[in-house]
Amino acid sequence: MQAGLAIIRLDLVFEFISGVIALIVTYYATKAYNLTGQKRLSDLSTGFLVLSAGMFGRVIGTWYFLVKYGVDFQAGGEVITIVTIAYGASRIMAYVLFVIATRPPKRRPQEVPGSSMLLMATFLVDPDLEVIAIIVLVIVVLQAVVNYMSTRSKFARYVLIGFFLILLSHILMAQVTDNPGFYLLSQAAQFLGFLSFLVLLVQVGRVNE
Amino acid sequence: MNRKRAYRSKMRILADMMRAIQSEGEEGAGPTKILYAANLSHDRLTQYLDELIEKELIKEENSENDSRVYFLTEKGREFLREFVRIERFSEAFGIEV
Repeated sequence: MQAGLAIIRLDLVFEFISGVIALIVTYYATKAYNLTGQKRLSDLSTGFLVLSAGMFGRVIGTWYFLVKYGVDFQAGGEVITIVTIAYGASRIMAYVLFVIATRPPKRRPQEVPGSSMLLMATFLVDPDLEVIAIIVLVIVVLQAVVNYMSTRSKFARYVLIGFFLILLSHILMAQVTDNPGFYLLSQAAQFLGFLSFLVLLVQVGRVNE
Repeated sequence: MNRKRAYRSKMRILADMMRAIQSEGEEGAGPTKILYAANLSHDRLTQYLDELIEKELIKEENSENDSRVYFLTEKGREFLREFVRIERFSEAFGIEV
């Protein structure tokens, strides 16, 4: 039981740091939007903001649960269910915004948002949030692959690695019921994904290289 | 695989003009050089040059043969550095600015 609690605490630390990185990306995307007026940067910024809000919500919610109920998981079942659903929903909303923000530029603007809304509708009827998150993230990763293949820039590579690791974290999370050991692996994959975004921001800031 | 640029924001046009000026170094760039480098019409060029001067991002001087030459100001250099950061960040996510 103590080992389980330690894993949850470590998971919360990962989540908190990832939330801070997501906030830094939000700040950067907002700054870029203010300078260029490019609407997609606003979508990207909102996506990372929603993601970070969900992460902080989960950290606070889980922490509250642990402080109030300790390791008695049955007692606070309702609290943890609300936190988990809210977190899952916020992540899907964020990923849909990433699909919209990172869609290839030559497509007609109506096409992808339409399919994104369809994915949102699927989310409303499908209770399995992890599966929905995986489906949306597959689109985000494919768009990141297309962007990397066309630019071959190291900056696009960091974005691809970031989104791929977040997708991997969801794939691992979807198998936690059968294999509980995947829980920490999943959190570690997500953490590494956000670290990749942090490396991107550091590299982008080095203008005079 | 080379992507055609579908969208060029006003900020990018201004940055392209400033890059053209920067590439000429201490000699400064004349209007024709900027016009070709930034791919602009003459009217647009005049309009944007006035705007850049007004915002103190570039300064205009007359050369020895009495033609106009443009130079980047320190504020202009800082703007260009910031734009490069924004450009790298945006294009990393496949967003053209």
